[in-house]
This record gives sequence, structure tokens and C-alpha cells, in this order.
Amino acid sequence: MPFRLLFRSLFRHPIRALLTVGSVAIAVFLICMLHAVVTGLARTVDAAASNRLLVQSAVSLFVDLPLAYQGKMAAVPGVEAICKWQWFGGRYEQDKGGFFAQFGIDPETFFASYPEITLQEGSLEEFQKNRSACIVGKDLAAQYGWQLGQTVPIAGTIFTRTDGRPWEFTIAGIYQTSTPTIDQQTLYFQFEYLRQSLETGGAVGPDGVGVYMLRVQRGADPVAIQAAVDALFANGPQRVQTTTEAEFNRQFVSMLGDVPLLMQMVGGAVLFAIFFAVLNTMIMTGRERTRDIGVLKALGFPNGTAGMLLLAESLLLCGLGATLGVLAGLLLEPAFQAAVGAMLPGFGFAGDTLLLGAILALGIGVVAGLVPAFRASRLTPVQALREVG
Amino acid sequence: MSQNSIELRGVTRIYRRGGQDLRVLDELDLTMAGSTFYALMGPSGSGKTTLLNLVGGLDRADAGEVLVGGEDLTGLSDTELARWRADHVGFVFQGFNLLPVLTARENVELPLLLLPLGRRQRREQAERALEMVDLGDRMDHKPRELSGGQEQRVAIARAIATDPEVILADEPTGDLDRDTADAVLLLLQRLNRELGKTILMVTHDPQAAGYADRVIHLDKGKLGRIDDNRATAGRS
Ligand SMILES: Nc1ncnc2c1ncn2[C@@H]1O[C@H](COP(=O)(O)OP(=O)(O)O)[C@@H](O)[C@H]1O
Ligand SMILES: [Mg+2]
Repeated sequence: MPFRLLFRSLFRHPIRALLTVGSVAIAVFLICMLHAVVTGLARTVDAAASNRLLVQSAVSLFVDLPLAYQGKMAAVPGVEAICKWQWFGGRYEQDKGGFFAQFGIDPETFFASYPEITLQEGSLEEFQKNRSACIVGKDLAAQYGWQLGQTVPIAGTIFTRTDGRPWEFTIAGIYQTSTPTIDQQTLYFQFEYLRQSLETGGAVGPDGVGVYMLRVQRGADPVAIQAAVDALFANGPQRVQTTTEAEFNRQFVSMLGDVPLLMQMVGGAVLFAIFFAVLNTMIMTGRERTRDIGVLKALGFPNGTAGMLLLAESLLLCGLGATLGVLAGLLLEPAFQAAVGAMLPGFGFAGDTLLLGAILALGIGVVAGLVPAFRASRLTPVQALREVG
Repeated sequence: MSQNSIELRGVTRIYRRGGQDLRVLDELDLTMAGSTFYALMGPSGSGKTTLLNLVGGLDRADAGEVLVGGEDLTGLSDTELARWRADHVGFVFQGFNLLPVLTARENVELPLLLLPLGRRQRREQAERALEMVDLGDRMDHKPRELSGGQEQRVAIARAIATDPEVILADEPTGDLDRDTADAVLLLLQRLNRELGKTILMVTHDPQAAGYADRVIHLDKGKLGRIDDNRATAGRS
């Protein structure tokens, strides 16, 4: 195969070639992104621990459970520890556009239940000792340049202080996680601080607990515990629903609607459009080369050569685009992770995401190249040379 | 009969157009001696290009036989024909038909890719061919950086690079002015005289035909008279 001819032909129309490569690159990048979102969602669900159960109101996630439930659940056999989770929903006044989650939790049981979370700086004792202490994810700390010992003012929206001033949490630790499915962009503070403020009238707001996390003892049957806890409150005052962490995550994800399907549809549409763009380029190229094809055949090159050249050209254009798209994806991945990490901690390019992008691009290259290649190999030299170019 | 002679026996070529049969060549019998420079003349549409394509193995006759250098082209498959072209014929076209993305040297090297040659040999052989057409100083130029006459000389270099026995030229001077045309015709004449190439050149320019040894006249698919320029050379 005359390789020099191939490479020279590739950039005979540089603008057209660059536009084609560019559109393939953008498509591959987009598809990688969409795929990363979909796999991120799936990963968040799949990476759930099997020894954690979540107890929420049977009505909805937004309805609180009574505080008194904790003692009753602690008595259920197989429940090793309980950690409360309360959504705080405050606003960081210094960055009105930004968003990060805050939760009130129980420091005593939190770390033992989530071995994926460890303190990178600061200490657990400090967090437990000081009522208004908090710990923050390392990405969050990096984002705002927070240091240990610093006070973070958060304006309450669900829980407001009666003196009208914002809540103040002192950073006692900076945590990191060993799994991408738990984000590093959340602020955790003591649930007890919130409870006491409400009790003493220092603040107003709902006085229940959003979710109880139960840690299952090693060897205990989570299904039996689930049933036992649900049965415990079957007659009120507030019925509960106990789910595995996986189920809980899935439920949370499905609140976003059928995102995977939507993403797949968008991805499919992008692919379709790009396929026709590349096909159009290749058909145009094939027509322009008619005379050259005739010359190659007249010189004695076998029928397949001209076709192979066009196919290779199409593959090279798409391969180049795929490479650029994947590189762009890898370069921009940290930025995207920072942007969506709080909502979708599992977001990230897995090897299969990149592979998918590359394979789709090369698939487009093959199909779009085969159309003019087929024509080229069937043209007789006389037909090809007769064409007035 | 010499090694590189051309023989047509009862060659018929019919084109089907709009349900009508067009007999472009009608049971043509013609023998051309080897190492001879032939001009093929005739009015437009008389079948000159068709005949040339049959001799060059680019097209197939509907009836009859085409023998070149003793080889019967009628029996060859498409692949065999392509192989045969690579080894035995060189083409020169009216529109030069160089590949625009390749330099003069690369254009000439192209047919050499089909021969069992090393990189160095290919390059040397291409350069030798270009020197023969007096373009040793233009090897790295792209076709659009060359004049029409130079382009046609590159095309001739490409045609002779593989050292074929037969050169087929279809109105090679059709797009050239008089002086440039004369240079190209002299070059073809030299290839015939010095290297013994059999040349069949289509032209409708009598002055161009004057460079050939013999002139074949074709009219409506039938053979006309054949003039021998060498016999009349003294008179012109
Ligand atoms: N592929 C084809 N299909 C139909 N008719 C053709 C085809 N090729 C040539 N012809 C016709 O055959 C006749 C001879 O063509 P050609 O050999 O090109 O003539 P010349 O080269 O002498 O001008 C012309 O009338 C031309 O229109
Ligand atoms: Mg013609």
C-alpha cells in the first residue's frame, strides 16, 4: 500500500480534515462524559456496603423520624451501632453560587461505620470534644482554602438561629475517602450540637432525625434486621422503611429520573450526527479521487488498493479524533470531577469509558470508509479515467 | 514477430447506450510491429481511446483477441490484467493524470511499488527516469508547481520507470502548446529509437503524427489506411 500517498491525501484539504477530526473528537469527548455520568451513577449504587442499613420514614426521605427510635432500634439483635444523619441544608455565605452538603452526624459511631473515611488532618478527639466542631472533605477545604481551627459560617435555611446570626462550625479535621463513591466535599458536624440548640431555644427547626444508619454485626443477617426494624414501628407513630445502602442509593439516583436512558439517547444522537458528518466527508473525498483511483488502477494496482486507501484514511481521521477526544477527556476530568463530585461522587473515566469512545469512533471510521471504498474498488479504470475531474 | 508486437484479431467493442448498441470497434484486425512508433488518427468518437484501452488491458473486448508481446489479454482475470499492466505497459494521458499530493519523484516511484524493488532501487530508478526526461532538477516539485510540458514529461517518466515494452499515449500533446508539444513528441521518438519501446499514440494533430513511424487511420470503428512515414520521409 502506498503509505506516502495515504498520509499526503489525508491533509490534502487541511480545513476539511481538521473539521472532521474535531467533530469526532468532540463526539468522543461527549460520549466519554455521558458514559462517565452513567457509570458514576451505577458505581455509586454498586459500591454500597452490605453491612450498612438505612432507616427512613416510610412516607418519604423528607419526613423526619422521632429521636426516641434510636433506643428501640439499638435493642434489635444484630445492630452493632447507630449513626444519625440529618440534612442541614445551609448556605455558605461567602460563596452564594457554590453548593456543598452539610450533615449532622454522631462522631462516636460515624468513623467506625465508615472505614472508607479517614482523617487526613486534625483529630477525632477534637471533633468529639468540641460541640460546634466539624470536619470537612479535603476537596472542599482545598476549594475554599480552609485551614484547621478555622470557623465556617453557614446560614441555616431549615434550622435557623433565633439570634438571626449564621451558624458557626470550627474545623477540627479534614477527611479523605478511599473510594470515589463517597465524596470529599461535605461538611459533617455533631448532630448533638443541633439537638441542643433546638432544645435550649437557641434555634428553631424540625426536631427529628432524617435517616438512621444501622451497622450490622458481623455474621448477622441484614434481611432479618430489616424486617425486625420495620416491624418495630409498624403501628406508628411513624412507620419506617429499612433498606440496604445499595437500595437507598438506587432510590436516590432514581430521583434524578431515568438519567441513564436519557444519556444513552443523547449519546446515540451525537454518534448518529457524527457518523453522517464523517460519511459525508468520505463520500466527497471518494468522488474527488475518482481520477486518482483510475490512475492507480491503470498503473496496475490491484482493485482493492484504492478502496483500502480510502478506508485507511477514514480510520485515521476518526482515530485521530478519538485520540484527541480521549486526551481532552483525561485533561478535563479533574475539573469535571470537582464540578459534579458533590452530586455524583462516582463520576470518573474508567478504562472502559475511554475504550468505548475509541471503539465507537473507529466503528464510525470503518463504516464511513467502507462506502467510498466499495465504490472505488468496483470502478473500472476506464470509468474512473473518463470522469472529468 | 518481435517480442513486443501488438496484434488485434476480430476485435469488437460494443457500448450499450439507452437500449441501443453502439459498435465502437467492429471486427478489427490489426498487427503492429514491435519497437515501432505508431500514431493512431481519426475523427473524434471514432474509437481511438477505446482501442488504446483494449491494447493496454484497461478494458475488455466483446469479441476477438488482443495479443501484446504474444500474451493473450482476453483470457486474463482482472487481477492478472492489473499485474500485467504493471509489468508491461506505461500510460501517458492527455490530462497528465499525476497525483497532485505527490512530488514528481514520488509520482514516478508509484508504479515501482508494484515491482520487487528495495527502497533505494526504487528511488534510483525513479530519478533515472526523471533525468531521462530532463527533469533532474524538478524532482521534489509537486505537479502544480510545474508547467504543462513538465507535468507531461513527469508522466512520461512514470510510464517508462518500470521499463515496459509498450507505451500507450492518448493525445499526450492535446493540452500543450506547439513548442512544448514538440519537445514531448521528440522525447517519445527518442524512447522508441534509443530504448526500442513500442509506442501507440492517439492524436488528431497531423504534425504530431509526423513524429511516428507509421500512422494508422481509424474511422467509425473500421481500419483505414496505414501510412509509412519512413517511406515518405525524403519527401517532407
Ligand atoms: N463507457 C461508454 N459508454 C457508452 N459509450 C461510450 C463509452 N465510452 C465511449 N463511448 C462512445 O464510444 C465512441 C468512441 O469513443 P472513444 O473511443 O473515446 O473515441 P475517440 O477517442 O476516438 O474520440 C464515442 O461515441 C463515445 O461516445
Ligand atoms: Mg479519445
